[in-house]
Amino acid sequence: MQPIPLQPKHEETIVAAVDTSSMKIGETATGMLIAVRGANVWKQNKSYRYIRLGPFIFHITEENKKEVYNALQRAYFNSPHEQNQSSPNLLQMPTRIANLLERWLQTMLTKTINNGLILFDGSLTSGTADTSTPLMKEILETARKRRNVVLAFSKMTTLRCNGHLITDILLEHKPPYLLETAGLKTKPPIVLLGDVYVARLTKGNYAFRLDIDKQVAPEQKIEAVEKLLGNDLLSQSYPETLRLAHILCTFTANEVIAMQHFTAQAYKLKIINRPDMHRLLFGPFGKGENNA
Amino acid sequence: MKLYKKEGNIIQILSFPNETVEKGDYLLIEDADAGKALIAQVIDVQFASIPGILEELLRSLPDGGELIQGEDFDPLEIAPHITYIQDASLLVCKIRATVENESLSPSSSWLPSRSQSTIKKLPIPTLIKLAKIDGKLPIILGGTKDSSLLTIDATSLDGRLNIITGKKETGKSHLSKLLMLNLTGYKATVVVFDLNGEYISLGMTTDGKRNAYHDKIHVLTPSENFKVALKQLNLHVLLEILIHALHLPGTSAREFRRIWQSLKERDMLNMHELGETIRNWHCNQHVRDALFSRYYALVNSCFFTDNVAEATFLEECLFKAKEQGGAIIINLRNTSPIDRQIVVEYLLAKFVELLTSCRLKAIFLFAEEAHLYLRETYWDDIVTRMRHFGIFTTFITNQPDTIQENIYRQADNIFLFNFTNEHDLEVVSRAARVDAETVKSIAKDLPPHYCLGLGRVVRDFPMVIKVKALDVKTMGETRLFFKDMN
Repeated sequence: MQPIPLQPKHEETIVAAVDTSSMKIGETATGMLIAVRGANVWKQNKSYRYIRLGPFIFHITEENKKEVYNALQRAYFNSPHEQNQSSPNLLQMPTRIANLLERWLQTMLTKTINNGLILFDGSLTSGTADTSTPLMKEILETARKRRNVVLAFSKMTTLRCNGHLITDILLEHKPPYLLETAGLKTKPPIVLLGDVYVARLTKGNYAFRLDIDKQVAPEQKIEAVEKLLGNDLLSQSYPETLRLAHILCTFTANEVIAMQHFTAQAYKLKIINRPDMHRLLFGPFGKGENNA
Repeated sequence: MKLYKKEGNIIQILSFPNETVEKGDYLLIEDADAGKALIAQVIDVQFASIPGILEELLRSLPDGGELIQGEDFDPLEIAPHITYIQDASLLVCKIRATVENESLSPSSSWLPSRSQSTIKKLPIPTLIKLAKIDGKLPIILGGTKDSSLLTIDATSLDGRLNIITGKKETGKSHLSKLLMLNLTGYKATVVVFDLNGEYISLGMTTDGKRNAYHDKIHVLTPSENFKVALKQLNLHVLLEILIHALHLPGTSAREFRRIWQSLKERDMLNMHELGETIRNWHCNQHVRDALFSRYYALVNSCFFTDNVAEATFLEECLFKAKEQGGAIIINLRNTSPIDRQIVVEYLLAKFVELLTSCRLKAIFLFAEEAHLYLRETYWDDIVTRMRHFGIFTTFITNQPDTIQENIYRQADNIFLFNFTNEHDLEVVSRAARVDAETVKSIAKDLPPHYCLGLGRVVRDFPMVIKVKALDVKTMGETRLFFKDMN
């Protein structure tokens, strides 16, 4: 594998990022309360700005989950990209709704920014339960029309090369550089809409999987990463804009309490504290359901 | 407000931003099922430990220390709820009493229901009524935190040891003047050791006119209108002065006793004869020199006179005060340290003499910075022995460590003004009727002219008092060099 060395390009370019988060804030007798929030952050004229949407709180039950999901899809996209899919499992609802919000926020960025870099959290893999291929293709196409390049950073990856995680392959080469992966194949209906790279953008042992829109010319892809180096702060190989998007949408414990307070005050919803069966059955040997 | 935790007699209460509670406020924690309520005083207000608060604060400052600019679209208006939770405070309270059937007991042994108890602010007038703080002889000290008047009972000062302390210029002397004037109003006899001449004009209003107290204020200035004749003195009083104020050695004191007996037998107890007798007395030259040096110290103080008519003013004032109440101000302003000790030694002995012979009923003694004229062995004497004779002392000081620890332990009432120094607060908190946490927490934040009343006067319910203004010429102001330049 040959590293592709990078030179920061300081040509003024907008860097924008999207992230969303979801949180189960409690259980009720019939379902659960979830909250989602998303943030768009962009760096322009050397300062960061953001738009944060939410929190949006939903009371999801077995009875209303399909209706809620479809209603949101219709509201966000006005097109039935995923209408044929089965409705999600109740426990998956927080991430599925957050995903809808994330795709909408990504669409909004691709429609409003020109000649910019748009950073996504995750990969450009589509055809999964929460990312339809037509929708993802549409987002990337809109971005290209406005001469934007989409860069998707994955914090975690399962892709391996010679048995090693691709992000663990650290070459004796001075960062910043990219490593291009070749020959990645996926099983249908999963589709890779981006070329996959390993990005080591700063000193230190941090590297991330970076997906860059396949339809962008190869030299443009490298130039896009070089513009990112020249226009955004990078710490631990991760762009600050994307880090801020994550920080701004993540729920703190304080906010969870506030939302529980809000639902109790506004809707008189009573949150139930269900016993932790692991703790109940195994005492000190039960590590709690989340850690089992 | 919600009950959160109880440890010993400290109770922690969660309070929300729309509930305004401050240090010093009283809360009533009522458990309707138990039919009882706890009275607790807020001694500290802290931020409630909210999970995730650090992340919340860090998130708001990610852009090189400057607030990141942006817009929040919050359709459900969750943000006010977040602020509400973030601004929640934790009230650390000290349990003061339990109310059951409208009667108070100091117990804190029961636990009110955490989920069912109701917590509300207890208005000071209600507490005063419950605790029966105001009595038949009211003294209005000033206002409380909720702007109601705080009235104490004069009997709560009767037979008691009081301490007024606080750092400079916080209003200690002002409070002592308020107390003594009110006591004279109830026909009490008050004696003030006035170190700085602050009390001498109490009979005048601020604009220089005579006020209601004018005829009750008697100013005695040693060596001017206040002198004593040797004939009026007992030998032991003079020996106390010679030994303790003038440090006369034991051998010389024995010789002086013989001289005194000789003069007394010849009915020639006067300063002139005393000098002559020392001069001609057959004794060791060193003893004679020692006696002479003390004799001249007595003469130079100008406090002693051979004219008995000149030496009757103190008793006249005391008896006048006994009849209609009054304050005898001993003006020690221009008196040297040694002369101050001579005067004080004489006065204390005189008071004991008058009180033991029942010629006086009782004396309320106000002693400013007593360490400057009271010898060490007298402290205990004043608070224990002399109290039984009827001398009820109020010490006023800005140096609390000059008062011995055992005095604090016996103090019945403490009026504590602002102190910022931990050491000073540590000293005061040794008082038996005070808990250290209350003193340290509340006294630090007291503004000028506010004091924390502790002890019997407030029935052991510490209260923050804004001491009321007096229409008297106080003379306690410090003379300033730059005053006229502003």
